[in-house]
Amino acid sequence: MKRFIMMSEKAYQPLGKIGIKPQIVILFCGLLLAPLFIEDEFTLRILISSLLFGGLAMAFDFTSGFINIVNFGFAAFTGLGAYTSALVAINLGLSPWIGILLASLLAGVIGLGLGLLTIRLGGIFAACMAWFLALALMAVTANWVGLTRGHSGLSVPPLFETIKNLPYYYTILLFIILIYFLLTIISKSKTGLAFRAIGQDIVAASSSGLFATKYKIINFTISCCLAGLLGGFFAHFVGVLTPQVLHTRNTVEVMVISYLGGRGTIWGGLVSALIMIPLMENMKGLMELRMLIYGAIMIFVMIFYPRGLAGLWESGINFFKRKGGFLG
Amino acid sequence: MVDMVQEIWDILVIAILRGGLYALFAVGLSLVFGVMNIANFSHGEFYMIGAYFAFFGVTMLHLGPLPSILMAGLLAFLIGIIVERGLFNPLRKRSKKGWLMNTFLLTLGISIIMQNGARMIWGSKFYGITQYWQGRTSIFTSMEIANDRIVAFVIAISAIALLWYFLTYSRTGRAIRAVSQDETGAILMGIDLNWIHTLTFSLSCLLAAIAGASLLSINPAFPTMGVIPLYKSWFVLILVGMGNIWGTIYGGLIVGLLETVSIKLFGAGWQDVISLTVIILILLFKPSGLFAKKGVKSVLE
Repeated sequence: MKRFIMMSEKAYQPLGKIGIKPQIVILFCGLLLAPLFIEDEFTLRILISSLLFGGLAMAFDFTSGFINIVNFGFAAFTGLGAYTSALVAINLGLSPWIGILLASLLAGVIGLGLGLLTIRLGGIFAACMAWFLALALMAVTANWVGLTRGHSGLSVPPLFETIKNLPYYYTILLFIILIYFLLTIISKSKTGLAFRAIGQDIVAASSSGLFATKYKIINFTISCCLAGLLGGFFAHFVGVLTPQVLHTRNTVEVMVISYLGGRGTIWGGLVSALIMIPLMENMKGLMELRMLIYGAIMIFVMIFYPRGLAGLWESGINFFKRKGGFLG
Repeated sequence: MVDMVQEIWDILVIAILRGGLYALFAVGLSLVFGVMNIANFSHGEFYMIGAYFAFFGVTMLHLGPLPSILMAGLLAFLIGIIVERGLFNPLRKRSKKGWLMNTFLLTLGISIIMQNGARMIWGSKFYGITQYWQGRTSIFTSMEIANDRIVAFVIAISAIALLWYFLTYSRTGRAIRAVSQDETGAILMGIDLNWIHTLTFSLSCLLAAIAGASLLSINPAFPTMGVIPLYKSWFVLILVGMGNIWGTIYGGLIVGLLETVSIKLFGAGWQDVISLTVIILILLFKPSGLFAKKGVKSVLE
């Protein structure tokens, strides 16, 4: 056992730089093959939304886990992406794929603007300003009925011509894999090191010559871009958009999933989404209890186990290594 | 000309009545932030709880308006003690680094639990009463204003005044201010930090609950009713800067005025957009808030 782990570690070391770890390879292979075993369209739909939330949680973790800024208006960027992509497809008649790209771009631009304005504020105030932006955008989408049809909902053209879920599944899986590698490569690079340094101690980082605001804005913009991208996909996947997409509730959901996964790990959020979303779907009948559980998990993780699922996994691996040592 | 003066006077009166309550709500938030360094996102839920308690006080226990409001405040005070002792106190012993962000997430968790707990217990129904005090008055305005609104404003202002008196002149109040200025120094002077933290948190819960209770006839009790006052009071706090009680009153009035004017000009629904824009503009030019005191935590930290 011990030898196997050591060998695998050695073999994967150069690959580890771009984020290829054994558990990730197994996870992605499993996800690639999953549709072979799933006949049921409903299960596939749940899997798609788990992946979607996993992607959002990874993007969220990229700011909260690295530069230690909670983007409390995260749902605003998802919703902005969703509405942009939908409106481009409806009003300009462009292909949804271009719409998704534009959505990502616009969310990035708004993220950049918000970052430039507010990110020099202290952590909690940056969070508040992002939240206000979400509230304001939600008010705009609800009240600009001429453009967004307000609360009665905007119906969006689908991404594919079929009613099958399989093409959506592979699209989102491709997105997730790309996002995972993009975020991991950035976080292992020098820039990523700077992000971590800023997140841990901004004064020390600044006094070592890092221009903290610049790095924070870069990080924030990337995260918002990804949120917009996934939002665009979401719009064409569900088919109907209401201003509720921008609701704080969605931010909180992404936040809990990401914190449960473990801070600053990227992959933790994906795994915890794959666990949490199907679990919550099964308990859909218990509306209030479901949210109560979210709250309780949040408090529990905050007070007792801040390292989350990823921390649990690492402790498990260490335990096995020690066990292997005793046996060998 | 007379019409215009009348209209401006109407807007002013409504803005002041609105703003007083925002100020009462924001004062508690500011107090907790200044003393305990907690960005309390569950503040709105104590407002909600206050409204529910007042409702049950009036309808089931048949108490008068003032006793119901007081009872709501005291019960919220007790819940505040439990929450502080049960959650913040253990977390404080565990974490020193990242305290602000950790507690922010913790209060979010509390807020989710309280909102959905209320929905589980009382359901998604509005619990409201028609009025505390009968009658409507006109303060030289073109329309008549419900007496409840005026009394709520008076309650808000007197609660703030009492709080100010307590913080300025009483021994415990001085201890609270000492902790907000320098924790280590306060401990060295023999102040029991745990007790001050618990007291501060429960005081802010009490203020929030009084605000919720005194507005019961205007905003009926509902599980998610706390969200709007919560972000309104964050508007106020960011606008005026931290740790300044009288500044909070001006802030409340400014936000009230902004909203009333934008409802008048653009129609209901756009007031948040207008307030947000104005706040971002102000922060661009004066990042520490309008009335920030020197040496007190500012937005820039």
